[in-house]
Parts: sequence; structure tokens; C-alpha cells
Amino acid sequence: MAGTATAGDVTRPRRRVRAPRWSLAIPAWVLLVSFFVIPVLWIVWYSFGEKPNLFQTISTEHLSFGRYAESLDATGPFRRVFVGTLQISILGTLFCLLIGFPFAYWLAVRVQQRWRGLLLALVIVPFWTNFLVRTIGWRILLGPQGPLSTLMQNMGLRESPLAILDTRSAVQLGVVYNYLPLMILPLFVALDRLDPALREASKDLGAGRWRTFRQVTLPLAMPGVIAGTLLVFIPLTGDYITAQVLGGAKGNMAGRMVADQFLVAQNWARGSAMAMLLILMILLTLGIGALIGLGICALVRRARRVDLSDVETVPA
Amino acid sequence: MTEHEEGLRVLAPRSTAQRISRRYFLQGSAVALFSSSVLLAACGSDDTTGGGGESPSGGTGGVPTDLEDQLNFYHWAEYDDPKLFKQFTNDYGPTTKIDIYASNEEMIAKLSAAQGTSGYDIVVPTGVYIPQMVQLDLLAELDLSKIPNFSNLETQYTNQPWDPNNAHSVCKDWGSTGYIWDTTIIKRDIATWSDFIDVAKNEASGSTSVLDAPADLCGIYFWANGIPWTTTNQADLDACEQFTVNDLAPHIKAYDSYPGIALTQGNYALSQVWNGDARQGLIAVQDKDPNRYKWGLGAPKTELWMDNWCILKEAQDVNAAYAWINFILTPEISLKDLEFHGYNTGIKDVKEQAEAADLPYLDIVFFDDAQVATMEAGAVNSAQQQIVDIWDKSKAASGA
Amino acid sequence: MSAGTVTTARASEATAAPPRHKVDLTNIALTVWGVLVYVFLFLPIVMIVAFSFNKGRALLAWEGFGFDWYKGLPHNDVILGTISTSLKAAVGAAVIATVLGSLAGIALARRPGKWTILFMALVFLVLVTPEIVDAISLLIWYVRIKGPFAPVPGGGTDLLHPVNYGLLRLWVGHALFATAVVTLIVRARLAGLDESLEEAAADLYASPWRTFRQITLPLMLPAVLAGALLSFSLSLDNTIISTFVHGAGATPWPVYVFSAVRSILRPEIAAASTLLLLLTLVALGLVALVLKRSGDSAEDVARTMAGAG
Repeated sequence: MAGTATAGDVTRPRRRVRAPRWSLAIPAWVLLVSFFVIPVLWIVWYSFGEKPNLFQTISTEHLSFGRYAESLDATGPFRRVFVGTLQISILGTLFCLLIGFPFAYWLAVRVQQRWRGLLLALVIVPFWTNFLVRTIGWRILLGPQGPLSTLMQNMGLRESPLAILDTRSAVQLGVVYNYLPLMILPLFVALDRLDPALREASKDLGAGRWRTFRQVTLPLAMPGVIAGTLLVFIPLTGDYITAQVLGGAKGNMAGRMVADQFLVAQNWARGSAMAMLLILMILLTLGIGALIGLGICALVRRARRVDLSDVETVPA
Repeated sequence: MTEHEEGLRVLAPRSTAQRISRRYFLQGSAVALFSSSVLLAACGSDDTTGGGGESPSGGTGGVPTDLEDQLNFYHWAEYDDPKLFKQFTNDYGPTTKIDIYASNEEMIAKLSAAQGTSGYDIVVPTGVYIPQMVQLDLLAELDLSKIPNFSNLETQYTNQPWDPNNAHSVCKDWGSTGYIWDTTIIKRDIATWSDFIDVAKNEASGSTSVLDAPADLCGIYFWANGIPWTTTNQADLDACEQFTVNDLAPHIKAYDSYPGIALTQGNYALSQVWNGDARQGLIAVQDKDPNRYKWGLGAPKTELWMDNWCILKEAQDVNAAYAWINFILTPEISLKDLEFHGYNTGIKDVKEQAEAADLPYLDIVFFDDAQVATMEAGAVNSAQQQIVDIWDKSKAASGA
Repeated sequence: MSAGTVTTARASEATAAPPRHKVDLTNIALTVWGVLVYVFLFLPIVMIVAFSFNKGRALLAWEGFGFDWYKGLPHNDVILGTISTSLKAAVGAAVIATVLGSLAGIALARRPGKWTILFMALVFLVLVTPEIVDAISLLIWYVRIKGPFAPVPGGGTDLLHPVNYGLLRLWVGHALFATAVVTLIVRARLAGLDESLEEAAADLYASPWRTFRQITLPLMLPAVLAGALLSFSLSLDNTIISTFVHGAGATPWPVYVFSAVRSILRPEIAAASTLLLLLTLVALGLVALVLKRSGDSAEDVARTMAGAG
């Protein structure tokens, strides 16, 4: 069956039969549905099951929300891990934004055109080294007998060896480091697309530098901020590699908890429920963030609204 | 209209026209990139395919000629001398590949999840987990006639209660659990598990590591309080949970099954550790600072664990597996392995041989009868579910 | 008018202090910040390269400078095997993701319809799902469907198992996220391009295939290339999915490193990582050179590599 006719059909009657509009996307569709949608649906199904005995991992005979209740139980230890994960990921995203924005601004606006390419490439190079190996690099640096510890002790800044490794702070540092390039790149693109003429116009109209930034640069860079926040927050919340390398027992992230259910505890039902909760947590946080963002936008727009009713109109 | 280098006239802005010719450069570079990485990959794999069926060297007897090309291990980390794997490949042919797990629970979880598709041949479970694995139908029955060197093992290390007549396993080595600490931070002596707990909560709070294994973690409470390690009494288990998750967990810095070296690098002040791993840590600093770190065998009670070679039911390289087990039970090979991992391999006269070879810290490898009397063998019983839960919750509580 | 006086007052305020001095301060601060960020980004990499020359047995305990571990690398079958596995997996995953993602991107950009929302929702879901969920669901799924994802009884390959099952598991597992990313990149690129070029080709009697080959494909090639590079690097880096689904004896490099982290780290890992880093830099340099020669400015090149162009 031919697809919808295009303008060309009228002028050239020997048009051949066209495949349906979406046919090019079929292979990708098949891949994603068979190896993503269906397996994840299976996990959702499992999350309502239970672990029947020592030897079996899952039974879906009696369906219930029991595993969800277990994971969210305020008296149990699991809830704390979810909360802790959210803390680390929100703080991490915030730090990435605070560190990345001035940097992206500098690179996109202040650096001379001819250096920009090279400097941007330099940002990407760490991104291209192995994630795990970069994190191990921090382990080397922050170790109690590592270079930083020795340096600080020799300079008299510390008396005992550096004890930051295997703590929450180390995990926080590690995640900020690992996801910083993902924040810088979209910010750079957004700031780069900014027309310098707009900022010049703002200056010509008498706005100070800070005001220009606040009212011209920042709002126009918002798409980049949003993209960067999403690119950082989502994978960060699910990541547990950084926490495992740098955090020891501390900084136990939700992702690791889920992995442990499958790798050690053999409780697939609980693991599936925790996985679902993790997804829900991400979506909920994004939703709340979006609402807050929209709310701030509305407030700012209110505050900036110029009331023209008081202005004297000049007779034409 | 713009001119194009190939004589094609294109009704397009110049920049877009340039991009259209770029196609050729990019096609070439893409091909070059992918082919070079494929080449590299092929080079890498060439290195790992060893020759098959080469003539043997050394006194290991006749080499069977029907061995497969490969032997896949699912193994603990750093548990056998890599040189021995090389020697096995040189003498017998099959190339060895090793994947690592960190605890018996992880190994069983992965194998049972794979339902026979894991692809491994040899696995090294701790003895008390073998009945569970047999019940899950994971292990093959051993034909001991294919392992003539089996007779090299001391009889007291064969025919264990969890595997009568060695139907599924052969002893690899056995060891125990204790503690190692930094004497510059912890000034007092640690003689018992109660001392361990007290130090962990005080001087070493936030610098203590415990083994990343559920039964060993719970053992701290049981051994300190004179409760049988294999108890199934609900009150005991609940008390253990209450203590481990609420009292002990907040002071734990890491769940580390290989803390020996890390402790001597300053990462921890106090660690629960297996004897061979403690020995490795001490050996690492024996030239620089031999008296700074001390080891103690767990008291008044501690565990006796035995790790075993097992062949998986789904194994596809069965002949190679038998050849390996026979190889590793040769006395000279066994001594070399002991030198590497530091655990008693159970071979006859291995202690005398080790002493003759003047290996260091042998008091941490070989235990006398009085010490052995304090060691309990564990069990995987109805309490296992809660034991694993305690470990799980303890990890969550430590991370908060 | 009052507004006018305010404006001039503001302007004079802005020019009251010598403009050169003001600009320099902020510029200096920003430049310092930029340098600090670069130091931050490269610090751990420098550590890894430096400690790869550690003579000692344990990575974290420096015992002197030496090339020992580099010399030992060619004989280290385990590490070479894992790197080889990772490279093979990355090539396969990149090919799958690039082809499928590009086709889907073309369809989304050029032939949108009611189906677009559904497909975009699917892509969004893939991007939002944490990797651990993908990993556990794939593990369960592979074991369930067996087929080419399970080892052949007796080893080797046959009709049902044309590729090593471990490799196939990695290809599919890594290709999921990468396909979604490539789809978005290609779609964005094509949507930004005017369809008039293609329509012109059609008006000039070019068949749809010829139009695609000579007009569409070259125009979207930077995006396809960026997508391929990104998929390759995502697959090389992939740890969580690989940990769960890899087959016996086909351990990818990150999984090996991860298990070393949980037991004992040796300098040979740092040595191998340094070499991989050099390889990556060479590959990136090659692509950059090619793009530059074909007329892109340095900035465009960098943007293509970042997948942001």
C-alpha cells in the first residue's frame, strides 16, 4: 500500500510504491522493545512477587506490594539509602552546575575564537578515558599514603594522614568529577549559540554586567542548563560505581543496593521493587524540579512585568 | 551556481557543498578507525589462544591427549599463582580464563540465575555451601579415578561432613579468620572478639573493616558471646541483627574481603581478615615496618573454612577440569601455590616442605591442634536467609 | 524625560571606573576558574599515568619508578583478553547503534507522524532508566530466551549461535542506550537542515535512494560519525550492564578492573589504562584531522566530537 502522496506524485506518475512512513524506524523499534521494554516489564511483574525460600529467587504466586513496603519501611535501613542517594545526586548536580556554568561561560564567551576548539577538546579528553579508571585515579590521589596526603602533611596542613577516602565526601567529589563534562558540554553549546549582539545591545541600553547576565545571558542559556541538569542528574542517581570505588561502606547508593539483591541476597522480588522505586524517585524528583522551575519562571516574569498603564503616552 | 571539485554542479550554498564532498574523507576515516580497532582486537585474541596438545614437561605423569582448548574458572581473586596457570597451559594445553566473585553468595546467585548458561567449568565454593549447590543441581559428581593425585591429600581433609566421600569436591585449602591491626593507632592488645568489638567502637571507630561475607560478619557477634556460629535460635539471630545493624554498622568503614594490604597502606586501623590475606599484608611491609602491624587468630572461637575445587554440571571442558585438579594436587605445585596465597593446602608433608623452603610467617599458615580446636565449621541452614539479610541491612546502615 | 536621564546616569556609572580595569578583574577570575577546572579534570588521569610506573606490587603503594608492569603487559593474557573482548564488543555495539539509530533518526526527522510521539516516548524511557535496571532485566531476559544468548552445548558455534554468546549479549546490551542517543543526535541534525535540498534533488529526477546517498547521507554524516564515536566510547566504558550479562571467559575490561577494585589493585591496570588512553587520543586525533581537512573549523570539529554539533 502506498504511503500518502507527496507533491511530486502529481508531476511524475511513475512514482513507485512507498513504504510506510515509519518503516525506517522499525529495526530500532524492534531492538528497543524486545530488549528493553519487555525485560523491564518483566521486572515490574517480579516486583510484586516474593522470595519463597532459601533456594529459590522468585515466586510470583502471591502478588503483593510487600516488597515495596519493605524497601520504604522507615524502621528499616533501605529507606535511608534512597534518601542518601538523592542527597548525593542533588548536591552533585548542583555542584556540577556551579562549577560548570562559569567555566562554560568563560569558554563560550570570553576565550578567543581560535582557542575554543582546542580547549573544548581538552574538556572531552577526560571524558574519553575509562570512567572506572578515572575514579581509581582519585583513589590514588586521596589515599592516606597518597600524594595529596603526603603533601598536606609535609606542608603542615595536617598532622595525620588524609582520611577523606571511603567517606561520603569522597563519593560526592567523585560523582561531581565524573559528570562535570556532561554538564559543561550542553552549557557550552547553549552559551555558544547566544548571539553576542544581544549582550551588546543590553550594554548599550545601560544595563550593568551583572544585570546583563541575569536578564539576558542566563534566560537564553536555560535550555542548556536544563539539558545539563538532566544529563547529570539521571545517570548520577543510578550510578554506584563511583560510590563503590571511593566510598567504602559509606555512600551506599541505591543502585548498589539493587545490585546486591540480585548478586548476593538472591531476592529478585525485593531487587525489582527497589529498581522500580529508584525509577520513580528519579521521575518524581524531575517532576518536582520542573514544577519549581516553572514556578520560579512565573514569579520572575511577574516581577519583571512592566506595567504600561502608568506611562504617559506621547501624543503621536 | 557553485563549482564542485568533481564537476558536479550543485544548487547549494558553498558550505553545504563542501560538506557533501567530505563524505569520501569520512567514509575512509571511519573504515580506517573501525578496521584498526578490529585489528587490535584480533591481535589481542591471538595472544590468548595457546597451542593445544603440546608435549608435557615436569614430573606430572602422562598427559591426557583429549583435553579441550579452554578451561573457564569462576574463582576468588588472587587465589592461585598466575604462573601456575601459565605452567598448566604450557604442559597440558588448555588456555585458562578466570572470572572473579567476592563471596559464595554472589557465586551461587550468579550460577543459579544463569540456569546452566554461565559457561564456567570450575568453581571454588567454601565447603558449607556445597550442600546448597548440590540441591540446586549445580555441581557434577566427581570421578575420583580421574584424579590420581587425590591420594596426596591428608585424609583428615577429605570426606567432610558437607560432602561425604568427596562426591562433588576436592579440598583446595583451608584457613581461618582473625584480626589485624595497626599498633600505632591501637595501643592495646586484641585477644578476643570482644576486644575487637570494643576497639572497633572506640579507637578504630570509622577505620574498621569487616569481611564482605554474611556469615563472617554475623560471626563477630556469635563468637564474642559464646553462641554457636550455626545457631538457628530465633532469639540469638535477632540479637545478632540488633547488634550488627544498630551497634556495629555505624563504625564500619568498609566491607572488604582483602584488607590485608589496604590496612598496611593506612586505609584501616583494624580489620577482620582471613589468615592468608593478613599474611600477604605483613609480607608487603616486612622489610619496612615489620612490627607495626599485628595479627591475631580469632578467640575464643573462630571459623574453619575449607575451599574446594568443584566441577560444574554444565561444564563443557570436563577433561581439562580434571587435568587441572590433578595438576594442582601435585606436591611441588601445591607448595608453589601455598607460597602465593598463604593457606594450608592440606597436602601430605606440605608443612615440612614449607619450613624447608623457609617461607615467612608460617605461624599464620599452619595452626596447632589447640588452635584448630577453637575453630568451628559453619553451615548453611535455615538461618541463612536472615544471615544474608543482616549483612544486607548492615551495609545499608553503614552507608547512611 | 526621566527615563532618559536615568539611562545616561547609568551609562556614566558604567563608564565611571576605567573600563579596562573592570574587564580585567572578571576576566582574570574566569580564566583562573577555567584553569582550575582543567587541573581538576586532569588530576586523576595524571595520577594513573604516573602510578603506572610504580615498581611495587600494589598500585596504591609507591615503591619506585620502573617500566616493569609495561614490560609484563604483552605477557598478561588476562588483561589482553579483556581488552580484546571490550574492543570487539564496542565495535559491534557501535555498528548496531549507529545503523539503527541513524535510520530511526531519519525517520523521525523526515517522516514524522502520529507514531513519532510513541517512539520519542520510548527513547525518553530508555534514557531515563538507570543502568542497573537495564542490567538486571537483561540478565533475566537472556537466561529466559536462551537461543543465541546461551552457550552452545559442546562449545564452538553453530547455525543458531553464529557469534560467541557472550559477545552477542554485550553487543545488544550496550547498543540499547547508544541507539537512543544516536537517534536523538541524528534527528536533531536532520531537523536542523532544510529539506529543500532533498526536494531539489527530487525535482531533478533523483530516485529516493540516490537522494539519500548523495544528499541526505553526507549532510548528516557528522552526526552519524559523532553518534558512532559516542556509542563506541559508551560501550568501552560500560560497567554495570557488562557485570551482569557477560559470558564466561568473555570478561570486558571494565568488569575486570571493577573486580580488581574490590580485591587488590595492581599497577598493570594503570599501565594498560595509560596505553588505552593513548590509543583513544590517537583515534580522536585521527578523526579530528580528517574533519579538519574536509573543511570544518576547529570549533566544528570539537563540537562534532562532543556530539553537540
